[in-house]
Amino acid sequence: MEKFCLSLQTGMDCLLAFADQHPQAVEWYFALVRFVFPLLALLILIRAIRGLLRVPHAAECWGQLALPGGGSLPIFHWENILGRASSADVRLDLPTVSRQHAALIRNDRGEWLVTDLGSKGGTLVNGLPVTGPTALRMGDALSIGGVELLFLPLSREEEEALAARRRSEAPLPMWPSLLWLTLFQILAALQLVLRQEEPSVLCPLTFGALSVVMWLYYLVLRGAGARGFEMETIAFFLSTLSLAITGSSAPGAMVKQLAAVVLGVLLMVALGIWMRDGDRIQKLRWLMAALAIGLLSVTLVIGKTKFGAANWIILGPLSFQPSELAKIFYIFAGAAGLERLFRKRNLGLFMVMTGVCLLCLALMSDFGTACIFFATFLVIAYLRSGDFATLSLICGGASFAGVLVLNFKPYILRRFASWGHAWEAASTTGYQQTRAMSAAASGGLVGVGAGNGWLCRIPAADTDLVFGMLCEEWGLLIAVLAVLSIITLALFAARACRVSRSAFPTIAACAAGSLLVVQTGLNVFGAVDLLPLTGVTFPFLSNGGSAMMASWGLLAFLKATDTREGASFAIRKSKKSQGKEVSGHEKA
Amino acid sequence: MKKLERRAALCLVLAGFLLAGLAVFLFRFAADGSRWASSPFNRHLYSSEGVLISGTVLDRDGDVLSTVEGGKRVYTDGKTRRKATLHVVGDPYGNISTGALSAFGQKLTGYTLLGGAFGAEEGSDLYLTIDADLNEVAYQALNGKKGTVAVYNYQTGEVLCLVSTPTYDPRNIPKDLETNEAYEGAYLNRFLSSTFTPGSVFKTVTLAAALECIPNLEGRTWTCEGSVQMGDGVVTCTGAHGEQTIRDALANSCNVVFGQLAVELGGGMLERYAQKAGLTASYSVSGIHTAKGSFDFGGDLSQSELAWAGVGQYHDSVNPCALMVYMGVIANGGKAATPCLIQKVERPGLPALPQFTRSTGRLLSEETAEKVADMMVNNVAAAYGTKRFPNMDLGAKSGTAEVGADQKPHAWFAGFLRDEDHPYAFVVLVENGGSGADVAGTVASKVLKAAVQ
Repeated sequence: MEKFCLSLQTGMDCLLAFADQHPQAVEWYFALVRFVFPLLALLILIRAIRGLLRVPHAAECWGQLALPGGGSLPIFHWENILGRASSADVRLDLPTVSRQHAALIRNDRGEWLVTDLGSKGGTLVNGLPVTGPTALRMGDALSIGGVELLFLPLSREEEEALAARRRSEAPLPMWPSLLWLTLFQILAALQLVLRQEEPSVLCPLTFGALSVVMWLYYLVLRGAGARGFEMETIAFFLSTLSLAITGSSAPGAMVKQLAAVVLGVLLMVALGIWMRDGDRIQKLRWLMAALAIGLLSVTLVIGKTKFGAANWIILGPLSFQPSELAKIFYIFAGAAGLERLFRKRNLGLFMVMTGVCLLCLALMSDFGTACIFFATFLVIAYLRSGDFATLSLICGGASFAGVLVLNFKPYILRRFASWGHAWEAASTTGYQQTRAMSAAASGGLVGVGAGNGWLCRIPAADTDLVFGMLCEEWGLLIAVLAVLSIITLALFAARACRVSRSAFPTIAACAAGSLLVVQTGLNVFGAVDLLPLTGVTFPFLSNGGSAMMASWGLLAFLKATDTREGASFAIRKSKKSQGKEVSGHEKA
Repeated sequence: MKKLERRAALCLVLAGFLLAGLAVFLFRFAADGSRWASSPFNRHLYSSEGVLISGTVLDRDGDVLSTVEGGKRVYTDGKTRRKATLHVVGDPYGNISTGALSAFGQKLTGYTLLGGAFGAEEGSDLYLTIDADLNEVAYQALNGKKGTVAVYNYQTGEVLCLVSTPTYDPRNIPKDLETNEAYEGAYLNRFLSSTFTPGSVFKTVTLAAALECIPNLEGRTWTCEGSVQMGDGVVTCTGAHGEQTIRDALANSCNVVFGQLAVELGGGMLERYAQKAGLTASYSVSGIHTAKGSFDFGGDLSQSELAWAGVGQYHDSVNPCALMVYMGVIANGGKAATPCLIQKVERPGLPALPQFTRSTGRLLSEETAEKVADMMVNNVAAAYGTKRFPNMDLGAKSGTAEVGADQKPHAWFAGFLRDEDHPYAFVVLVENGGSGADVAGTVASKVLKAAVQ
């Protein structure tokens, strides 16, 4: 390792000596490379975005219910409602069938259970009335409100057709994007080395290490059979930008930032594999809730104030923001709090938990994160209950509480006083926003180049104002692409619902996608004075270890909804489950 | 699960908000981005003192007026030259907002909204249309009085001379600049950004209206007895001019005749012609917007008030630049080029972009313009003295604008040269200078002599 560093140092010295001798060549490099970066960004991201948005979403068919008069009803999910309502997954439009008559659920072991949802007409399996969850096997007769149905697996032809279709939906190969990204990393490292006043070997070293981590991740998972890498490509791209921005604003923090990326990737993989087991999530949801609240309350007690909010825990040389990691546990607890799809939709406990979290955050004066938690709460609560009226009431209550807080603590209002009028308060409360906007407008379409900006000398430039720094050093094109990448993640989460198997990953993915979108919105619009500056980070992009790890962790929720054949490590490969079903066949 | 699918639309709504917000940001970036970048704290374009970091301002002959040496903004040598060109070049701190360093800051640094500030430290060479030597002559001719002098080519629009006083030396900024009364309004370019009572120079507008609206105007005669009762007020002249034609009345600058003409024309018609002459509009001089003149010809004016308004008194106010363009219009057969200050911008390694001449459009009919021009040329022979303007086919009108009982009147002298080689229109204003023909006429004489050499 030492030898390697030494040779790298010699290489860098050679390069710098060359640059000293040929300043004209360096100028040419700067002038040219700033047009290359947006081009590379397009090549990297368009493939990933297209891959995520063109996911064909052919539903997986898990079996069918044969009707007495011929014909059949397909079963598309692992959790299905049988009933007369238009929102039922298997619709039986007959007067004797209740709107939500019964639930048909497949567990992780491949066993199917039927539950009556308090129907009028009653549910029978093989002539016996259903009271609790009742197992349903191949060829069993299911009677729904008097309608006789035969529970059947897929026919051999159908199975083959489905398999063929799923194979044709194979994710786009991502290695071209990763190759472009590697080139991007090399060019960015070179640019930073040539720009830095005291070039350090750490800069190319961290970029190189990021590259290695990226390819290791790709090769290991590819070797394990995973094929969908779009989301990771986006995340690695944003992480690369994060390293570059850190290299420009705080070169000393680059190693820390790289470590956060590595830890984040590990966290994501661990969470994803852990989430494969639905029952485990159900069992541990109380622990998750306790962890979320615990992290926040511990911060409340021993937290230190940094940049206006008392949300830092400092342990010797390490300092981190537990509220970032609390986001992951919060989504876990919130999305899993519902025991499968059809049980009671009681939001009471979830609301209590949210209330405690928000209170902790408010006491820390971390209003940005509180906003993010509240928005995530609304998404989860709406997905779980669909109860628009209650949620409107809660929103009303929350705004009332907000007004009350502002009444008692008017100094909070002062922080937001310049909102929308930043230019009139350019030297006081609008200081950061006006600097961010001025720097952003100086970047033009392709930016002034990494390390050439001045916004990095303004406080919180690489966190709260990171969008301004991105516009300044990397240009409007890359900044817009970064926001579009985040939007793509949310779109993917919303669209993945169509083919999702069960409720937990769907709700969790929508919550994570929404959280990322809301956080990005607060960060970007706060920096350019479209919203009050609340001091939240841009996911993956801002300099900050906890935020980086949390962003990668949230990605696990999105990976868990990617049901494309072999696309995601967070979902068991279909070979196994097919094997189980085949064995089920034999049993039958 | 179908229910979840429908509810997941909430996720789409949030993504939609982010997208819409991004669109709003992009819109504001496009609309206001240049203004954001032009903040003095933008270190890409301004030094830590808020001084433009790059760009050289030159005059039309290529004489450097201001440049950056060793990271510092410096001005040309010669105190008089610096003072005479201060208002076109601008001060280092952006107090003179119409100066090149402020108004053309982005051209000097090469900043563009799409290209950003990359390479701004190299800067561009911006050639003004101004002749610095001519500015010096004009500055000295003003002899320390407050006022403005400008000369422009009414065929190409190039402003050759533009001086505004009081001025100061940007190399040694006086400590009492903000407190001393002598420097009051020093940051203002009077030519572009101020309006003044025009006095008799406005008679050229009343004359154009009368020529077009009153039949047989040139066949009529008037008798001036020094004053005339109009309604319940009196309009007075400097003396009794006796019997005179319209030609004589203009040369004599006879208030009695022009007051009567104004009443005859009516307020509405005068308002129309003041508008037609471009005196109530703002011109864009290479992107700098001039001040708009204003008039009060409203319906409930008494006869005498309307008469005074028709001879450039009452509530009339006129921007010197707009008046100068009107002089160009008279000389040029009814339309003229709008003035500009930038001759060319040269950026190292890039071709210079051509500058286009823009026209005012037709403000007067050709016939009217010619008649007014002839009468103004007659003014010089009959009243101002051809000896003061040797070898010049000059048309002019003086003005002595009363601005209050306790102050000396503003002295105006505006006109044009009918000369293929020197198609110049000019305006001279000396604040509280006294007689227009005497004081302002002398300044004009000195500047025009230098301009045609």
